[in-house]
Amino acid sequence: MTTLITRTITKICVPLCVFFSISLLLTGHDKPGGGFIGGVMFAASISLLYISFGLEDSKKYFNPDWSRYFSIGLLLATLAGLGSVFAGYKFLRSAFTFVNIPLIGELEISSAIVFDIGVYLVVIGGLLFIFKKVGDDQ
Amino acid sequence: MDQSVAIILAIFLPFIFAILVPYVEKIFKHRIGWYASFTALLTFILIATAAPSIIAGKTIQYSVKWLPSVGVDFGIYVDGLSLLIAFLASGIAIMIMAYSNEYMSHKEDLAAYYKYILLFMGSMIGMVFSANTIQLFIFWELTSITSFLLIGYWKHKPQSVYGAKKSLILSSGCGGLVMFVGFLLLRSITGTFDIPTIISDPSMINTIQGHELFVITLVFIFIGAAAKSAQGPFYIWLPNAMEAPTPVSAFLHSATMVKAGLYLVARVHPIFSGTEAWLILVAGTGMITMIGAGFLALRQTDIKGLLAYSTISQLAYIMTMYGYTTYQEPGIGVAAATFHLLNHATFKATLFLMVGIVAHEAATRDIRKLGGLRREMPLTFIIATIGALAMAGVPPLNGFLSKEMFYESSVMMGNNLGAPYTFIIPAVAVLGGVLTFAYSIKIIDGIFLGKRQDDHLPKKIHDPSAIMLAPTAALAFLVVLFGVFPSIPVNLIIEPAVAGILLDTVSLNVKLWHGLTPELFMTVITFVLGILLYTKYDDIARWQDRFNVRHPGISINYYYDKIVGNATYNAGRFSGKFQVGPIKYYIIPILLLAILSILVPVTLLSLEMFPVTLNFEIPPYELIVFLLIIITALLAAILPSYLPAVIAVSAMGFLVGIVFIFLLAPDLAITQILVETLTTIIFVLVIAKVPQTFKENITKRILLRDILISVTVASTVFIIMLYASQGIIPPFESVSHYFLEKSVLLTGGHNVVNVILVDFRSFDTLGEIAVIFLAALGVYNLIHSRGERK
Repeated sequence: MTTLITRTITKICVPLCVFFSISLLLTGHDKPGGGFIGGVMFAASISLLYISFGLEDSKKYFNPDWSRYFSIGLLLATLAGLGSVFAGYKFLRSAFTFVNIPLIGELEISSAIVFDIGVYLVVIGGLLFIFKKVGDDQ
Repeated sequence: MDQSVAIILAIFLPFIFAILVPYVEKIFKHRIGWYASFTALLTFILIATAAPSIIAGKTIQYSVKWLPSVGVDFGIYVDGLSLLIAFLASGIAIMIMAYSNEYMSHKEDLAAYYKYILLFMGSMIGMVFSANTIQLFIFWELTSITSFLLIGYWKHKPQSVYGAKKSLILSSGCGGLVMFVGFLLLRSITGTFDIPTIISDPSMINTIQGHELFVITLVFIFIGAAAKSAQGPFYIWLPNAMEAPTPVSAFLHSATMVKAGLYLVARVHPIFSGTEAWLILVAGTGMITMIGAGFLALRQTDIKGLLAYSTISQLAYIMTMYGYTTYQEPGIGVAAATFHLLNHATFKATLFLMVGIVAHEAATRDIRKLGGLRREMPLTFIIATIGALAMAGVPPLNGFLSKEMFYESSVMMGNNLGAPYTFIIPAVAVLGGVLTFAYSIKIIDGIFLGKRQDDHLPKKIHDPSAIMLAPTAALAFLVVLFGVFPSIPVNLIIEPAVAGILLDTVSLNVKLWHGLTPELFMTVITFVLGILLYTKYDDIARWQDRFNVRHPGISINYYYDKIVGNATYNAGRFSGKFQVGPIKYYIIPILLLAILSILVPVTLLSLEMFPVTLNFEIPPYELIVFLLIIITALLAAILPSYLPAVIAVSAMGFLVGIVFIFLLAPDLAITQILVETLTTIIFVLVIAKVPQTFKENITKRILLRDILISVTVASTVFIIMLYASQGIIPPFESVSHYFLEKSVLLTGGHNVVNVILVDFRSFDTLGEIAVIFLAALGVYNLIHSRGERK
């Protein structure tokens, strides 16, 4: 369906894009990025995989149930919010601290990352679920 | 404190165990009923831990803040009354679910069945322990919903669906919501939702009874109770609810859920009783329902239908007795009502389970086809006789005791009201008793006595296995036990319950033999007339049939069907006007409304604020991008088929991404470009499946209208942008300073866009990802429903 060039580039690009999306997610609090962008990045790279290799063929090797991702993501985001309630704060209140790691330097760690991972998973799951459903219905 | 923990656990345990049902089912397979039964047992034990202090005359109260801004707590209030209903709900659930192990076919969706029953049990227990009206209302509606699910359990049967809808419309829609308004009225009078606060404060009760909204509040709350307990005109849902599996009917629609209305009446008894309105409304509705339903019960040919009408009639007894209290020493009516409530739960559950056995073995519930089963099913026959005679009020069974108390309170009521009621009220009571006696006999005679109808019945019928027989027998045993040793239930359950209703300690003396009283005389009359009525029964049935044919308009069902039918039809026509199909017609009103909501305030805010200086210094390379955006936008509008139009739109999207780069907004630029990529792909995938050109025949008028709308929308957005470009106009202040200043300080993050998303405005983000969730489910359903229609 697609050319060898596309498929070769896809093979190289997709892992890079996935790593990039994860870095977007993790550094999002400080630098450009975040759960939403990271999630869309991830979804875009996986859709590239689906397009290059065809949905049917890629299913043989790689066929996650994306609906789980958005369900778990929403659950995670809600739990992240409830976590602060149980700690005695208001819903979704976050806490943060700075840690000094040798060679890397000062790093900010925020509990908001849990919420952001939830967002990340919902975006990935939601988009790819829709993508697969729409693409599947041939 | 620790007792309240047990009660809170008892409320939530069934919910948690219900959620676990699908997983546990994988292990237990069709024996899942034992798991459910065990849950009920556990709940029962938890509730029982509270019993000793309640019997000692205390109450348990506990609350935590829930919605402090509106004064609603999550609170529990345990007294004798709530304990009684909670015992019924969990105790009968044990037997019902054990029984269901055999009754329900293994091919059924058992996980759903037990899940719903456990959810119901939790809701019912939560309802009775609720300390405030809002919480009570929520659990109340949960019982309605679970009841709806259980009545409609056999989804493929249209009658089940009809019955389920009817029960939901009447008990939740017409009843629950009206009751909610009643609660709000009560709150407007008293200023609190908290039930114990209201009922324990005599001065507050005086205020309520003297308030001008008193009667309307009472009426609204009573409508909720009546709808739930199938009283007055609301009775029509209960017979249709018999489409549920028989154990469910035994549990929800005779022993527990329909008692919720009575519970509410008893709960608000301290607030409203002692007034004329209470007497007329509660006792009046009760008496009319008692006679009407008893009369209708007689003509039923389906035994389950007969039991349904008899339930309505028996609940009406209880309702009547709660209503009596205005003109007599309150203890007697309330005690009689509460005792009958317990007794009715035991003997009616026995009867329902017995009917389930008969239907299971003989494959029919039609009384015309049944008969003469006493030799084949001797044990079932004995159990049925116990249950039916208890209902008929024959000594030494428990129904006899509470019926005597009913007569006693009726006589007293009549005497206190004076002539002509001295005669009328006891006569109505006896008439109710006579009807009850007659249909109770009909149950025994119809199924077990007389001639066996070989044409209609299977060759071999026998008593069921122990799994079905034991729970039924256990309930029948309680019927006898409570009858022979009334002091057991009276001391342990009824006295605390009555004390809970009246907020005063009471001492009851219930005996089988209490001398030659007027009540005993009335009971003898009841038996004689009851037997007479049953022998003349055929003539009455013929008369009833003729009457029904001649007056179809007298049936409440007739009006119900007409109203619901009309409502459905008109709702269909109404939404058909708006749900026209093409997406364009959904977007137009949305856009117009958005314009209205912006243009009007802008005009009202006066045009003085309108920017005077317009800054159009745009670097040439940006100008090129803007020009390209305009060109792609025009192309998207005029290109003749989908694919080129979509490409134009996405080109425009990418160009906007470039603009974001010019504006030094990397977050937005990345997002814009990625989202644009994905939407383009999805668009193309969708387009591959639809006709390639626009179908709609665009006339000049439509074109003109569309252009007009587009231009208006665009200029509105343009005006808003102009305002925005002027910065913030005093006295308003910019919010962005706050975020920029506090971002690192409060959250430690430097990327303010992300900080807003996950910290400052994370609740909004939670809402947004919920939207993505729903959108994904929506797409799934759209694609699947399309597949089904093919």
